[in-house]
Amino acid sequence: MFHWLEKNPFFFAVGVFLVIAFAGLVEILPNFAEASRPVAGLRPYTVLELAGKEVYKKDNCIACHSQLIRPFKAETDRYGQYSLSGEYAYDRPFLWGSKRTGPDLHRVGNYRTTEWHENHMWDPTSVVPGSIMPAYKHQFTNIADIATAYAEAVTVKNAFHTPYGDDIQPGKKAFEAYKPKVLAEAKKIAAQMKNKDVKDAVAAGKIPEVVALIAYLNSLGTSRYDAKSK
Amino acid sequence: MQSNAALEYDYTVAKLYTYTAILFGFVGMLIGTLIAAQLAFPELNYLLGEYGTFSRLRPLHTNVVIYGFTVSGIFATFYYLAQRVLKVSMAESKFIMFMGKLQFALYLVAATAMVITELMGYTQSKEYAQMEWPLDLLIVVIWVIWGIVMFALIGIRREKALYISMWYFIACFLGVAMLYLFNNMAIPTYFAAGGVGSIMHSVSMYSGTNDALVQWWWGHNAVAFVFTVPIVGMIYYFLPKESGQAVYSYKLSLLSFWGLMFVYLWAGSHHLLWSTVPDWMQTMGSIFSVVLILPSWGSAINMLLTMKGEWNQLTENPLIKFMVLASTFYMLSTLEGPIQAIKSVNAIAHFTDWIPGHVHDGVLGWVAFMIMAGLFHMAPRMFKREIYSKSLIEAQFWLQTTAVVLYFTSMWIAGITQGMMWRAVDEYGNLMYSFIDTVTVLHPYYAIRALSGVLFLTGFVMFAYNMIKTMTSSKVLTEEPQFKSPMA
Amino acid sequence: MGIRELQGYASLFMTIVFVVALYGYIVYLYRSEKKGEKDYEKLGNIALDDEIDSKPINTSDPLPDEKKGAK
Repeated sequence: MFHWLEKNPFFFAVGVFLVIAFAGLVEILPNFAEASRPVAGLRPYTVLELAGKEVYKKDNCIACHSQLIRPFKAETDRYGQYSLSGEYAYDRPFLWGSKRTGPDLHRVGNYRTTEWHENHMWDPTSVVPGSIMPAYKHQFTNIADIATAYAEAVTVKNAFHTPYGDDIQPGKKAFEAYKPKVLAEAKKIAAQMKNKDVKDAVAAGKIPEVVALIAYLNSLGTSRYDAKSK
Repeated sequence: MQSNAALEYDYTVAKLYTYTAILFGFVGMLIGTLIAAQLAFPELNYLLGEYGTFSRLRPLHTNVVIYGFTVSGIFATFYYLAQRVLKVSMAESKFIMFMGKLQFALYLVAATAMVITELMGYTQSKEYAQMEWPLDLLIVVIWVIWGIVMFALIGIRREKALYISMWYFIACFLGVAMLYLFNNMAIPTYFAAGGVGSIMHSVSMYSGTNDALVQWWWGHNAVAFVFTVPIVGMIYYFLPKESGQAVYSYKLSLLSFWGLMFVYLWAGSHHLLWSTVPDWMQTMGSIFSVVLILPSWGSAINMLLTMKGEWNQLTENPLIKFMVLASTFYMLSTLEGPIQAIKSVNAIAHFTDWIPGHVHDGVLGWVAFMIMAGLFHMAPRMFKREIYSKSLIEAQFWLQTTAVVLYFTSMWIAGITQGMMWRAVDEYGNLMYSFIDTVTVLHPYYAIRALSGVLFLTGFVMFAYNMIKTMTSSKVLTEEPQFKSPMA
Repeated sequence: MGIRELQGYASLFMTIVFVVALYGYIVYLYRSEKKGEKDYEKLGNIALDDEIDSKPINTSDPLPDEKKGAK
């Protein structure tokens, strides 16, 4: 058998493939059904929050912030209840990160406010002296891409049965009809902010990136499945 | 088996990839040095507005050094050594030649598009798989073409036995193909939602914990099949060829190959220790990471023993220095990795700077050293000129070795300091430090790392200068050197 | 838990198969060299003697692969 493999590069390649594929088959596939179940009562991200998640991805917050609280006292004291698999059921992609140059954000919505985030994104050292995080002032003028976020909601609803309402439907018309709901949600956040450009933009029907990002950050935590928490 | 005096190896494609390796190496390391400096001196975040922040540049750094520099180096060495160990020339087949050039053209398009889209913020936010779906498709095409070239060359080979380096390149091709496809499974939202939103955006087929598993199955094995497997393939060719010594034990090289293939894939879940991934998988990742020391050290020791009785070459030939140090760093790195994969160590090390420290003693000390040594070895043979300056290589060697040592020592200290401070409690059991305390304390180590980046980058510029001078204005060789590369 | 158990047995079984195969390979390598059928260490010279017109270095076995060996 070995002699034959050494002489036949093609079957040799098949052999290599089987050996390396084996670990994947055993380790990964069978776990799929179990690991994708949401915790009881978990709601999916709203379209505005999805748009905020896109800002989070675009400015690559994951480079410095994790979203995974490990089951150690030092971590639960600092960040709150450790993370559960079911909390990530609607996270596509997962945003656990691999480096904490800044603190974990998985429950940041439980203990930070819109105002705090606004100050922090404008100038991190104003609320955290000594911070090495860059300011993200461009998020106050760049307009968030709501259409793409809406398209994502439609996609996950149809492809993966994520429980969105009947008003999330494919097509430009359905999107136009849905837009006012996103704007209404954005207005609530803008009302708590002080930046004039942001307020003007939202009043004019545009949603700056920072508003979407704050909506997303506020949704991180237990509030998406536990009404009692803030 | 006819002897064909007029036939020569054709290095056209190998040369093209050598140029891109130098270019992307410089760009990637320049960005790396900049972002290292940003952590020490945050004012540097505002050089390029929105496009110059640490967070936007960090994936650009990793992608340019991996898919620009390393992959160019892999292709350059492949197109060079595959011909030689199979004893066929690319010039013998118009088809192979065309496919090789086509692959390079597409590669250049993809790499350029990668830089632009990531700078603009188009990303899947999966580490080392940031590129969005149109680029992913292009990469699949490039990879398939590579496979066609590889097996076409094997098909017309004169040397019936495949040299061990070819085994490693075949494994690189297969491993990356499988992992890349699975990890990048995504649905483009524009089409799924009836023409709403950006055409570039896609949503992952996997969610949450599953996505994490698939991603780190990829992330870990990208390290295996891009940073380890082909680089081992390189050293199995370049070290014997440069030193004139055959591999110490060919049988050991075969065994470590199969050992590596079998064990490496299992270890992926060590990136997810203490997470919401099932416990038995974490344990499995931990155990197999430790077992992984065996095949890794098998290869590395084989390399060192190849130099048995010929250690004087270490002082005489700077390229041997590069390669011997590379295998030493490989040993260090493959010992450090399993240590970090032990659950109790991981509890401290994970999320800290010890991890980038570990990555960089591998990629700078092992991958970059090996690629540069390989390209230096190839240069006199491809361009038929001697290497421009030996003393420049010597200086580069010491500068870059210092840089790597500074990098990993500073990050070891930084990582362990940070890990210990996060968990430190006072006598009443309350946390002793607020998070920002654990950041500001790292400033000196970040500054040292930035310095090490400057040193390594300077060394790379010396490498690039030496290579360019070799190509253009060095002394012309009348015949091809057999073993030791000639240098002035 | 059907799938979990199946997975456990499959993994155990395959691991044993691979371990046996690996050790079998070691035995095969040394035995075929002892019997003089092959000389693996000679293959190391492929890297050293790699001119396009130099004679291929092959194992000393009687090459039954002229027709099927070429993929």
